[in-house]
Order: sequence, then C-alpha cells, then structure tokens
Amino acid sequence: MNKLEGKVVCVTGGTRSIGRAMADAMLAEGAKVVVNGRDETKGQKCVEEMGGGEDVAFFAGDASKQATVEGLIDFTIDRYGQLDVCCLNSGGVQMTAPVAQMTDDEWALEVDWNLNHVFWGMRRALQHMIPRESGRIIVTSSVEGKMGKPGIPGYTTCKHAVNGLVKAAALEVGTLGITVNALLPGIIETDIVRETGPDSAVAMGLESYDAMISEYTKESAIKRPNTVEQVAAVAVMLARDEARNITGCMFPIDGGTMPY
Amino acid sequence: MGELDGRVACITGGTRGIGRAIAEAFVSEGANVVITGRSVDKGKQALDEMQAGDAAHFVAGDVKDRAACEAAIEATVERYGRIDILVPNAGGSADQAPVVDMTDEAMQDALLWNFWHAFWTMRKALSYMIPQQFGRIMLMSSLEGKVGKPAISNYVVAKHAMNGLAKSAAHEVGTMGITVNALCPGGIETDTMKEFGPDAAVSMGLTYQGLLDVFAQESAIKRLNEVEDVALVAVLLASDAGAGITGSLISIDGGTSPY
Repeated sequence: MNKLEGKVVCVTGGTRSIGRAMADAMLAEGAKVVVNGRDETKGQKCVEEMGGGEDVAFFAGDASKQATVEGLIDFTIDRYGQLDVCCLNSGGVQMTAPVAQMTDDEWALEVDWNLNHVFWGMRRALQHMIPRESGRIIVTSSVEGKMGKPGIPGYTTCKHAVNGLVKAAALEVGTLGITVNALLPGIIETDIVRETGPDSAVAMGLESYDAMISEYTKESAIKRPNTVEQVAAVAVMLARDEARNITGCMFPIDGGTMPY
Repeated sequence: MGELDGRVACITGGTRGIGRAIAEAFVSEGANVVITGRSVDKGKQALDEMQAGDAAHFVAGDVKDRAACEAAIEATVERYGRIDILVPNAGGSADQAPVVDMTDEAMQDALLWNFWHAFWTMRKALSYMIPQQFGRIMLMSSLEGKVGKPAISNYVVAKHAMNGLAKSAAHEVGTMGITVNALCPGGIETDTMKEFGPDAAVSMGLTYQGLLDVFAQESAIKRLNEVEDVALVAVLLASDAGAGITGSLISIDGGTSPY
C-alpha cells in the first residue's frame, strides 16, 4: 500500500464524492493530501474522517475562484514542501438550462468552475513542477467531454474544453517528467448529482431525477452508474511513477458509454 | 494480498514482450496465468525466468490456427479450473506494402494473426465467463487501431477491426460482470518490433531507426513506450476497480493518439 509513498497531492473539491475518494485512495498509498472545499466545517470533518494525522490538511475556498485554486497549490507547497500530484476535480452546475434559456450568470459560473479552475490550477502547478521536472496533473472531465447532452450545454462545453487543454498541455511538458491526463467518468451518484440532479432533469426535459440517471445508464454497457472508487483507482494509477509514459490520455471510466 | 488473488488469466503471445510483462504483473498480483507461444523452448525459458512455480503454465500453439486458440482457453480451464481474464495479445504483421501493391495473403495474414485470433479466443472464453458472470477481456490493439499510417494498412485494418470487436462485445456482456476493452499501445521496441519492424520501415520508406523515431517524435514524451506501461493498465482493468471500464479503446501511447 505504498504506491505513492512520499508524494504530495492536492485535490479541488476533495471533501466528498469523486475528490474525496481520490484523496482517501492516495492517502492509503502513502501520499500527503490537501483537500479543498467551500465549507470549513465539512472540511475539518473530512480531515478527521480521513484519519491521516499530519498527512492530511484542508484548504477552504470555492474552486470557481482563481484565488482559491492558486491558493490551494501555494498552501500545499508551503505546508509540505512540494506538489507532485494536482487533482483538478471540482466541477458541476448550479442552475443549468438549455442554451435558449441559459443565463449569463449561470454560464459564467460554469465556465469559471469547470474550465477556468482547471486552467488556473494547471498553470500554477506547472510553474512549480516544470523546474522540478516532475509532476502529475489529473483533471476530472466527464463523458460530456466527448458527447453532447441537451440541457447541460455549459457543462458539456467546458468538459470538451478541458479535454483540449489536457491534450495541449501534455504536449508542452511531455519531455519534462510531467504527465497531464483527464478522467472521463460516466454518471456517478455523487452528492452534487443528487443535489442538482432534479433541476437538471427538468432542464433536460425529463420527468424525474431517476429518469435522468436512467437516461445516462441506458447508454452504457453496464446499465448502472460508475462509482467514485473506480475513478479513484485510475487516478492512483496515473499518479504513480510507473505511469510516466501515460499522458494526454482521455481515460474512460464510463461503463462503455462513449463512442470513442 | 494482490489485486488479482484467485484469478486465472490466459495471455496469448505471453513468453516475451508485452504479453510477458502482463503475465509477470498478473502473477505478482496473485493470479495464475497460462501463457502461449509457438516455441516450446521459448515457453520453457519464459517459465524459468518468471520463477512463478505453479502460478504459471505454458501452452504451445500458433494463434493463426483456430483450434490452437480454442485449445489455449480449454487448457487454462483444465489447468486452473476457470478462466477470468483473457488477453489476446499476440499479433503483428508482415509483407507490408501500400494498398495498390498489398497482396491478399499479406492482408489475410494480418487479419488472422490479430483479429481472428482475438475473435476465436474471445468467443471460447466468453462461453466460460458468461455462466460464471465474471470476466475481463483486454484485446491488444494499438495506436494503429485508432490512426492510419501509410504502407501498413494490413496492420491498421486488423487493429481497427479489433477495436470494433471490443466495442460490440462490451455491449453484449456489460450486465454480466464482463468487461471488454482494447488496449492501444504506442511504439514499443519488443522482439516482434525488432523482427518485423525493419520490413515495415522499408514499406514506409524509412530506416528501422527512422521508424522508431517517428513513433517517438509523434508522442508528447518523445520516446518509445515500454511493456511495463501496458502491464500497469492491464492490472487496473483486471482488478475489481476495473469493473466500470468497458467498451473502451485505451491509449497507452505517450500522448500520440488524437482521441
């Protein structure tokens, strides 16, 4: 259980769902982990639950804000002396709508939360990793990074965009010991999905939250949601030294949903 | 406690190269493995080097022969009581040429070696995996299963065909605890590459080193991939955590493929 011994990791949106699963899995493999979330109380609770003592810390802030994303990375390096694995994971929607009804405010939020957050984090992390010639950047994208769905145009746009950013960045730093990869999970019943799902279902023209989940799972081969643990296992693999030759990859964890 | 404790795998072309690396990784994670190859001597040598005792077994056979493909699966079940993981890994191509000059034989050979072998072993393995409601199938495709290179269309065609087979089969068995994926490695200097690469290079108007340089330069890492890169992903897919990954064409190519 020491695949990531000595590594230092930060995770945006790391106190629950996919980010938390990644944080737990990486801690279990010997890493030190800083998790980020908006809520201070939930954050401290998360740190206690993770049970990593001095190897876990919380950095409060909203990942849709540049100061938070850059601050997380600076805090991690300050606390633990380095950053090896930057997991840019936070993302979602608040009040999604079809394009014709999409508001400026929702669009701007989604772009900041899903796309700009990844750019800000990647840039800050690379400025640290490039002189060290070592690092891992892991971006939580989605099946919506390759497919289109009605009713979530901002999320779809941003996930396509981060896929492009991952490909471009991977080519820039490929010879510098740094890999940049995207995780493309299928539907997972995370807290955020449960919270915003009912409204998203309406925006997608569906009867209910359950109907929305079925809409996603019926496209898969496995006919059920993916799990946060499945995503975390891929993240651990990509974070390892042994994965030094895997980069620019759109790694699927989608039960066969995507057509390519 | 390994990730693959109690699992049984069959890996064609498992005495060297990518197949060998996967076999060793699987054994180190607690699996029993059957490796196949054409040469009994190479098979013995592989088992000696692997030092896996009863956890590894060799079966001789040529994957271009249907009976041999099916026999490899039967031998796995006979030896270890079941089959959980199949890696139709053997493959390659010879007698490459541009399409205008490609012979029927060269195209048929590549299809037999790569695609038909995968189909035959998969079909047989599924006859065991479906009743047991568990399986992990990893076809050894290639970067050339996603992109086209001139003057090696027999290899490109065979690998693209394997990708289609993986996608189709995945949707058939997705609710039966069976995943089917295609691994798409970039250029790796295996024995097969050393043996058949020079002719492929000539067909493409390159020297052998020039061919290797093309692989490296098209990647983000500017170097070839290694067999261990593929083994790393294979272990993940075979493990319990791999249950959610299926019907996928997974690039292990240092950032070469555009999708």
